[in-house]
Amino acid sequence: MAKSEFVTPAKITRGLGSAKSGTSDHIRQRVTAIALVFLVPWFLYSVINASSIGYAGAAEWAGKPWNAILLILTAGAAFYHMRIGMQIVIEDYIAKTSTRSALLILNSFAVIALFVTVALSVLKLWIGAGA
Amino acid sequence: MVQLTLPKNSRVGKGKTWPKPQGATNLRQFRIYRYSPEEGGNPRWDLYWVDMDKAGTMILDVLLYIKNNVDPTLAFRRSCREGVCGSCSMNIAGSNTIACTKGFDELPGGVISISPLPHLPVVKDLIPDLTNFYAQHAYVQPFLKTVTPNPEKEWKQSEEDRNELNGLYECILCACCSTSCPSYWWNGDKYLGPAALLQAYRWLIDSRDEATGERLDDLEDPFKLYRCHTIMNCAQVCPKGLNPAKAIAKIKHMMVERVS
Repeated sequence: MAKSEFVTPAKITRGLGSAKSGTSDHIRQRVTAIALVFLVPWFLYSVINASSIGYAGAAEWAGKPWNAILLILTAGAAFYHMRIGMQIVIEDYIAKTSTRSALLILNSFAVIALFVTVALSVLKLWIGAGA
Repeated sequence: MVQLTLPKNSRVGKGKTWPKPQGATNLRQFRIYRYSPEEGGNPRWDLYWVDMDKAGTMILDVLLYIKNNVDPTLAFRRSCREGVCGSCSMNIAGSNTIACTKGFDELPGGVISISPLPHLPVVKDLIPDLTNFYAQHAYVQPFLKTVTPNPEKEWKQSEEDRNELNGLYECILCACCSTSCPSYWWNGDKYLGPAALLQAYRWLIDSRDEATGERLDDLEDPFKLYRCHTIMNCAQVCPKGLNPAKAIAKIKHMMVERVS
């Protein structure tokens, strides 16, 4: 913990000072959780239904406007929630600053890539269905 | 990475088995963590037989029995022997508590293990180094802060406002809560821990204190405050029956309130 025996506990505790942040992530995590309470049951119900109607049926279902909108909202809320959750896990367990920073960047990249992939796939079905 | 196993020089080895007291009929075995910086080497588990008919009723009585009758070298902190000073906090049968209010009748069967509070440097035997814990308490500035000039007599408070401090002021700083918290284990240098945050809330909610905003500023940090993941070990082990997790949740509410 202490870098040397001469570093005082007060120095360690004060550290780099308070970051004056964290509340926005705390709020966003709870807001996305509230959204997911409604979206996840709808998503699970729909996916189970869609799984029995074949590829064409599922594509048609996902291409309907309300389904597409809800799918994109579900992905957005879930991935945003996941980003904050993963960030907390990384901060909890990875103490080395360089590894931690690298993983935090990777976390953001992965989540954005996943969201863009899902959103564009759904949009393709929606726009494809309308054409 | 988080340290999930003890470092090599902290692994606890097998120690000495002390002789049974003569003529005792009601015997119970205790396994106690021993470490002496003078002797060096790794810590060890020593086994003691205790005559329960002569040892009193609490775990502190057991420790005093051992120190007085079996092994005077056993080191532990104690003072008030009635749950007020918080000195004799330690891990008893796998759970942090204070030895003086833990009765025999609350113990599980079999050999009872007693070790120092987890995840702290050990000074000797059951005595952990709490300097970092105290520095965290000092960080929350646990005293009244005002900008209004002092009144001629005391700062007054309504009965309702005084009642807000119930469940907070009783903390005896035994460190059972902080050292039972996994978040505190992994990030004890940056996370203030349940004990310091409970005291922070005690001053945040005090109707006489005028530094609420500054206090919140000093706490608003992903590590200092938001490392609490409501694991609730703190509330489970508190020997005074307090709920630090609830106090931390209320601090978070105050944080949200001032931005919304």
